[in-house]
Amino acid sequence: MFLIKKNEVLKLAQELEKSYAVYGPVVEKESGQAFLTKVDSVNDIDLNAPIPALPPKSVVFPQIEKILGYKYDRNSKNVDIKMVVVPQAKAIFGLRSCDLAGIQCLDRFFLGQEFVDDVYLLHRKQMFIVTNTCTKPFAQCFCACTDSGPSAKEGYDLNLTDIGDSYLIEVGSDKGKELCEKMGLQKSEAAHAAEKVKVVDKSLDSFEKEAVENKAWISRVMNRITTGFIKPQVWEFIGDQCFECGACSFVCPSCSCFNIEDFNKPDTAVDRMREWDSCSFEGYTRMAGDHNPRKPIEDRRNKRFFCKLSYSQSKKYLRPGCVGCGRCAWVCPGDIGLPNVVTYVRREITEREINE
Amino acid sequence: MNYKAGICNFCGTGCGHLLNVEDGKISGVFPSRNHPVSKGRLCVRGWHIHELIRTDDRLTTPLIRKNGKLESASYDEAVSFAVEKLKGIKKPSEELGFLASPRSSNEENYLFMKLARSVFKTNNVSIQSESGQRESLNVLYKGTGMAGMLGSIEEIKKAEFILVVGTDITKQNPIIGSEIHMAAMNGSTVVTICSRKSQIAKLSDIHLQCKPGSKKILLAAMAKGLIEKNLHDADFVQKYTEGFEGFANSLGSLNDGDIESLTGVSAQQIAAVVKNLSEAKTAMAFFSSGISGLDEDTISYIYNLFVVAGKIGKEGCGVNPIAGIANLQGTYDMGVAPDLLTGFQSIKDAETAKKFGKAWGADLPVENGKDVYDLLAAKKLKGLVVVDHDELIVRQQKAIDDLDFVVYFGAFNNPFTELADVVIPIGTYVESDGTFTSTDRRIQLSHRKVEPVKGIQAGWQVYSMVAAKAGAKWNYDSPAAVMAEIASLTPNYSGVKYDKFKGIGGIQWPCNDKYPQGCPRFNAGDAKGKIKFVSVSANFKGAEKNTEFPYLMMTGKAQHFWHQNNLMRRTFIPMREYNATLLLYPKGYVEISPEDAKSIQVRDKWPVKVVSPYGSMKVTVKVTPDVKSESAYVPYFIRDMISEFLMEHKELLEQGEDAIIPVRIEKV
Repeated sequence: MFLIKKNEVLKLAQELEKSYAVYGPVVEKESGQAFLTKVDSVNDIDLNAPIPALPPKSVVFPQIEKILGYKYDRNSKNVDIKMVVVPQAKAIFGLRSCDLAGIQCLDRFFLGQEFVDDVYLLHRKQMFIVTNTCTKPFAQCFCACTDSGPSAKEGYDLNLTDIGDSYLIEVGSDKGKELCEKMGLQKSEAAHAAEKVKVVDKSLDSFEKEAVENKAWISRVMNRITTGFIKPQVWEFIGDQCFECGACSFVCPSCSCFNIEDFNKPDTAVDRMREWDSCSFEGYTRMAGDHNPRKPIEDRRNKRFFCKLSYSQSKKYLRPGCVGCGRCAWVCPGDIGLPNVVTYVRREITEREINE
Repeated sequence: MNYKAGICNFCGTGCGHLLNVEDGKISGVFPSRNHPVSKGRLCVRGWHIHELIRTDDRLTTPLIRKNGKLESASYDEAVSFAVEKLKGIKKPSEELGFLASPRSSNEENYLFMKLARSVFKTNNVSIQSESGQRESLNVLYKGTGMAGMLGSIEEIKKAEFILVVGTDITKQNPIIGSEIHMAAMNGSTVVTICSRKSQIAKLSDIHLQCKPGSKKILLAAMAKGLIEKNLHDADFVQKYTEGFEGFANSLGSLNDGDIESLTGVSAQQIAAVVKNLSEAKTAMAFFSSGISGLDEDTISYIYNLFVVAGKIGKEGCGVNPIAGIANLQGTYDMGVAPDLLTGFQSIKDAETAKKFGKAWGADLPVENGKDVYDLLAAKKLKGLVVVDHDELIVRQQKAIDDLDFVVYFGAFNNPFTELADVVIPIGTYVESDGTFTSTDRRIQLSHRKVEPVKGIQAGWQVYSMVAAKAGAKWNYDSPAAVMAEIASLTPNYSGVKYDKFKGIGGIQWPCNDKYPQGCPRFNAGDAKGKIKFVSVSANFKGAEKNTEFPYLMMTGKAQHFWHQNNLMRRTFIPMREYNATLLLYPKGYVEISPEDAKSIQVRDKWPVKVVSPYGSMKVTVKVTPDVKSESAYVPYFIRDMISEFLMEHKELLEQGEDAIIPVRIEKV
């Protein structure tokens, strides 16, 4: 473990900039909104910025991207296929721990199963990740309930924790260690590590007071969602509130569903595009032959929460699909962000227990 | 920073978003969390606006039709040719029409209007894609002098009582629907009047599922109930209003005994709503002003009901028409109407006409113009100038084909270019600065985010070019300079300056000496003279069915079909969603209740024939409990349905959402 003075912490990003395209939390001035995006200058990075509106999945899995280009020549009957350009290796500086958990879920979906997604791999490989411990939660946070914060436990190259005058740097990989050594950073002592433990404990203790928007007792409903013992009326109550906008999926750090479209350009070339998709859409679940296993909206909603909260799905991600960032609650035009759904299900459990 | 703050350009809600600009292309969109209206939300359309803006299907060069084929030309050639032809039209006040776009910015609409009146000497300038908006503005202007929403979307959460009339608001303006839902979750009483079980009806505390065509009667019954039980706000009526007796009298002919049979809503239900309305300290009414909007009489009843209840002119209150297109309100504000100049000033007002004539250095035509659609129908038109628009095509393709000369200004390739003699490309809304006025009178500045496609000029530049060719000297160096001129001529906009647009959220007009930072709502004290009850008909006849045509059929919009899909078909996800419905019901559908399906002996997706006194169409049925027995609902989302069947009922459709067609439904 190493130490770096607080006012020098961006030197790490400067060092990374030599070999990587650096992404970090930056506040857009007109709207005052934080984004995790490619930085124009590392000096724009604001480690104290609120949790970025845009989830970091946009770095590895952009909202819309060309994954293939082809052109068919009618005369010669030749098809000319071109792969996408390999992007520059990326570094994310100042990632929150919940968002790192999101990337880990995406890794297990795109890379950890039978098929490896080549395009995702292009974005993800050689990536350098610097996480940033949340010394206090934001109003919408509930990572304490989803085991994804306030400090990252694994999956980073370096993990920063604000311990007063300095940041404690925990090393998570050889790559991370090399960088710190190359910069000649001061080694930390046991007292510093103990200080970090205190910071994390204090952060956890302050959830009660600070994280006031969402209270989600995740573990209490996982069992019910896994076994499906939830009254259909509860899902209907939830489904009635769904505006079918897809926002919950788009802002979710772990949602991986996508759509593929071939986009015909005026010069007859075709761009094959991949873009974010959502299980809230009827056209998403529709199959050939007009069969739709999830036609009513409440069935599509119930699928989303099964994906985020069931035990069977967690086995695939090796953790719950929900990472506790709270974004879905603030983009939802209905009132069915995940924490609220947990509340509705819990309310039903309570009623059932009383009745029984 | 590649995310740049802006405003969504689809419906009239005016949501804030941030566009991701990568390599000069828009490649993503994200909601704006600090925006006062949308607060981090977008709807399915808003979430996919980047798919539309990034399309390559653009007009990239001016085109002139030669020997029947469009051929590339320079701006100078195309503009010269257009001006020469348009100037050659002898009686422009009768033979030349200008059709504007409610998606263009205020600055572009203003210049387009100025071009028509001052350069080409015609007042035939209109939009008419959403006639209900004009009717709403007429009612509100007559009553209060404010031709715009009386309340504010930001204040929905302060309304204790919310009345939604007709509109399927969670589908058409989802973020306003969301605000209403959030208010309901926080304890406001939401009442929906709709003959179908729409989503907002399901989310309401009380759903008055009235018979098709009886909304007006229901509203009149509510007003009558308020007055008879002395639950109206007598102090407010006394202090601020005039015309109460006239309104009360016109309710006299409504027979209490008839109400239930006419509307299908019980007296107890109406009494409960009346009680809720009178007990609430604050209340708002919402209704669509769009293509499925209400007729002027029904809007007048909503307005009068809220005046008599004392629920306008203060915080958390208001009668609120909802515009369906981004700059629909702004387009009327800019005087894009045959009889109006900016800020709802009448062209017939001598002082106003003089003011404009002086500022523009031109003699203006004095007679009211005519609506472009009416002119087309009357076959008097010779020349037509159109901006970014092709809805007309559905109804008027033949009439346009017959014209001598058609000019089209637009950013995208579309079917209208096939009808044009000259096509002049203009930039999209992300390629130029411009202001847009959303449904709650909120003027918002949208900055330029990308460089225009090579060689393409912004609309305000192109219109200046046209004016210059025609011999007029316009000297605008920027959209800000255009706004300065608008402000100098428009009382409601007099305080608007580009410098004032700091951060996000815009300015709600009136923005003047009294309200230099704008004003969220109509305040009772600001009315010139007293607030007026507007005159209403005392006609309380319901829609009539008979044994031959036993179903009352309503028409409306399908979820993913939006303004003939000219924009939506350039997107991926919303288009797929539209196709999902289309694939299930390739010929469109008519919604009927399970009981009726049983009696006709059909099942879901079975074909039927819908027969009206004027025509018939073959569609499939969708069996749903969302409609009551003996009602039917047709959402139009297929062109054939519009052109072949519904257009035959043009006169009925002009009555707006309450246009009810009595039909018979036969098994095929």
